[in-house]
Amino acid sequence: MSDSTTPQSVWPRLEPLLDGVRKPARYVGGEDNIVVKDHADTDSRWLLVYPDAYEIGQPNQGIQILYEVLNERSRTVAERAFAPWPDMEDLMREHDIPLFSLENHLPLRSFDVVGFSLAAEVGYTNMLNCLDLGGLALRAEDRTDEDPLVIIGGHAAFNPEPLAPFVDVAVAGDGEEFVQELDDLVARTRRADGALSRRALLTQVAQIDGAYVPRFYEPRYTADGRLAGTFPRRSGVAYRVPKRTVSDLDQWPYPRKQLVPLTETVHERYAVEIFRGCTRGCRFCQAGMITRPVRERSKETVKRMVADGVANTGLNEVGLLSLSSADHSEILGMCGELADTYEGTATSLSLPSTRVDAFNVELADELVRNGRRTGLTFAPEAGTERMRRVINKMVTEADMLRTAETAFANGWRHIKLYFMIGLPTERDEDVIAIAELGLKVLAVGREYGRKNKVTVSVGGFVPKPHTPFQWCAQDRPEQLHRKLGLIKSRVASDRNLNLRYHDPEPGLIEGLLARGDQRVADAIEGAFRRGARFDGWNEHYDHASWLAACRDAHIDIDWFCHRERGEDEVMAWDHIDSGLERDWLWQDLQDAVRERPLDDCRWIPCYDCGVCPGLDLAHQTKHLPLYAGQS
Amino acid sequence: MRVRARYAKDGRLRFVSAIDLGRVWERALRKADLPIGYSEGFTPHPKVSFPDALALGYASTGEYVELTFAVPVDVQRVVTAFNGAAPDGLRILEAAEVIDGAPRIARWLRASLWELRYPSGDTGGLDNGVRALAHAEHLPVDRERKGIATRLDLKAALHQIASNENAVRVILHHTEPPFRPTEVHQSLGTTGGLEALDQPRLVIRVAQGSAEANGLREALSGQLLSVAPNDHTAATSQADLRIP
Repeated sequence: MSDSTTPQSVWPRLEPLLDGVRKPARYVGGEDNIVVKDHADTDSRWLLVYPDAYEIGQPNQGIQILYEVLNERSRTVAERAFAPWPDMEDLMREHDIPLFSLENHLPLRSFDVVGFSLAAEVGYTNMLNCLDLGGLALRAEDRTDEDPLVIIGGHAAFNPEPLAPFVDVAVAGDGEEFVQELDDLVARTRRADGALSRRALLTQVAQIDGAYVPRFYEPRYTADGRLAGTFPRRSGVAYRVPKRTVSDLDQWPYPRKQLVPLTETVHERYAVEIFRGCTRGCRFCQAGMITRPVRERSKETVKRMVADGVANTGLNEVGLLSLSSADHSEILGMCGELADTYEGTATSLSLPSTRVDAFNVELADELVRNGRRTGLTFAPEAGTERMRRVINKMVTEADMLRTAETAFANGWRHIKLYFMIGLPTERDEDVIAIAELGLKVLAVGREYGRKNKVTVSVGGFVPKPHTPFQWCAQDRPEQLHRKLGLIKSRVASDRNLNLRYHDPEPGLIEGLLARGDQRVADAIEGAFRRGARFDGWNEHYDHASWLAACRDAHIDIDWFCHRERGEDEVMAWDHIDSGLERDWLWQDLQDAVRERPLDDCRWIPCYDCGVCPGLDLAHQTKHLPLYAGQS
Repeated sequence: MRVRARYAKDGRLRFVSAIDLGRVWERALRKADLPIGYSEGFTPHPKVSFPDALALGYASTGEYVELTFAVPVDVQRVVTAFNGAAPDGLRILEAAEVIDGAPRIARWLRASLWELRYPSGDTGGLDNGVRALAHAEHLPVDRERKGIATRLDLKAALHQIASNENAVRVILHHTEPPFRPTEVHQSLGTTGGLEALDQPRLVIRVAQGSAEANGLREALSGQLLSVAPNDHTAATSQADLRIP
């Protein structure tokens, strides 16, 4: 860990450079509710990094929550850093300025722990760039005892293997408790004058529930190149590392004092999670699988958080977040009471709306009251009822049209529909039906206003770890281009139907990083060395560099992405225990292929996905089961 | 009830653009729980208006804002509450109620007093450079916009200029097109003969108002500010400007 000499702020050297970069406010800190502590008064120092541009990373809930949880500890300091935009990176390299924090503008190396929040795979090259700019060796084995611990969390950490050589610790699941346990250990070690070697320290870290320390594990491969397993190299580490799960969200009412940006970001709202976890059971959805069980925050806590959150920030938008907010057992009362409080004020409320039903429209109406009704978003995800049975998104076409009718009738003027293509078992008719459904919804809209609009947004499906589709082949970019063509030719003529889609190529690399094993690390490093940065940004994504890096690293993208995997194939993430039983995931895939839906276990008897008994938890919800006898 | 205020923008906040700063104002007013008025309509906007915008990177003790409140407010309470809620680098220095029928503040903003602070050390010759600018008949400055180079005469905007060891103060008329303090720096290099002069460490808009024979009359207080760098009247005292 870093030595105790007083670190120097880079601010005096940074400030003169700020005239020469775009959006300099990204780099200055100074936001409302920022916490600036003197490092001399602390026992442990964390740098929380979101490896994307400030305007993307700043609003991230994970960072905001852990920032507060850590900074509430009197002898701990947590600061933040984000990936510098390429213009700034060039200047930093030219002037030898390391990656710095926004609070004290201290170099990455002056921290004890550098934690990366990885919401998605497209941040991996930026993460390597942050380590490199911070003056660290990329590979954990090349770093010294004086270097900070590098740790990753977030949904992408549920398959840490492609990043395993670069990190000291990976943790899957909720971070609130984990960071405090790690913080205790780090502080204790530093108070003892940092006498522990990296290896000795990691031995202790590995004892913390949820900590996966890659150097204590070893992947082995079969002769034909398949993974034989990821095995502990030593005794005393878990054979499978469990995810962390906090049980009572009312005990974790964060963020309380959300950081308020000085410059525009993607979400400028006070955001409160109204519940975590989701048991809708959409088979493509990694978030819904890895965040089980459902843990609701009570209506009273949500109301108190909103009142304090708005007062502490001056923000005039409130987002009630979750994976399917309309499913909260107290949602109607919550929305009604909040709307009563803020009706006639400048504060607006919103619910990310994905559930396709009239109830969702009712909630949206309740939140907006007499305000402006602009757009509503729904995610039918697939075009035909058959395809929706496969992915377990149980929406009939009649549901969709009725929902659209209710929305347009109540004055909403724009409906956005989210779809995926490249889903398992997909046929051309399923793809064309996406366009058809968009047009049918538009026809409903026209009855209520000539100018009403529909946006159809189409993304390519990427199979993700810990889902029933983890065994499935991902469509090739060529296949996706052809399918997009089917949709385009069907909707091109209509001015009020707006088609949006993503280029399929980045999705290919996303798939490789999502389901890759440790061998893929070489390709990530190679792509980074070739200049890959900001892979989630169209203007920066460089497919050729990635392909070249894969070739150099002998990574066969076909084999990782486009191959149907067998029931018994060992997955790179099998040693990370999300709680889901592998047998259940396989069974759910068989049900998918047979077009059999599965209902939500909040209101049907438990079907043994494995999560609740494994965690010794149950759903924390006030929903009443529809059948007696639910445990 | 309308309140007009002069405010400072400095420190980290000088890297916040004029558009972003508008949002920072609105949030600070809400956080301070001040009864700002809102426009009518589906998307009500708080009634906060700025007569002009300060370019990114400059500090200032001479920015102005006009706030319309829904109910009568105590001006001093507005200042205290706002300054308590605003982030570091933004604070009201002076405020007054606007009498109905008073002309728009923009009418009083005819000139700016700028201060260019140079890195301490060898800035020998600032005095000579400044004298050269003051006595030159023309001060040609070159601009390029959309690939077209134009030459303008800064002299048309230059009212008064003065210096000490490492600061230059200059009063520039608000002309169309406006001149920037960086063009004063450019002139010091060309007409002033100071080719080796480093970029200013900091550029501060000290105040805005009307140019007079003895300096600049600040728009809100009516105070007369001299162009001389060592003349620190109340409105421009170092305490007003917290530069890290």
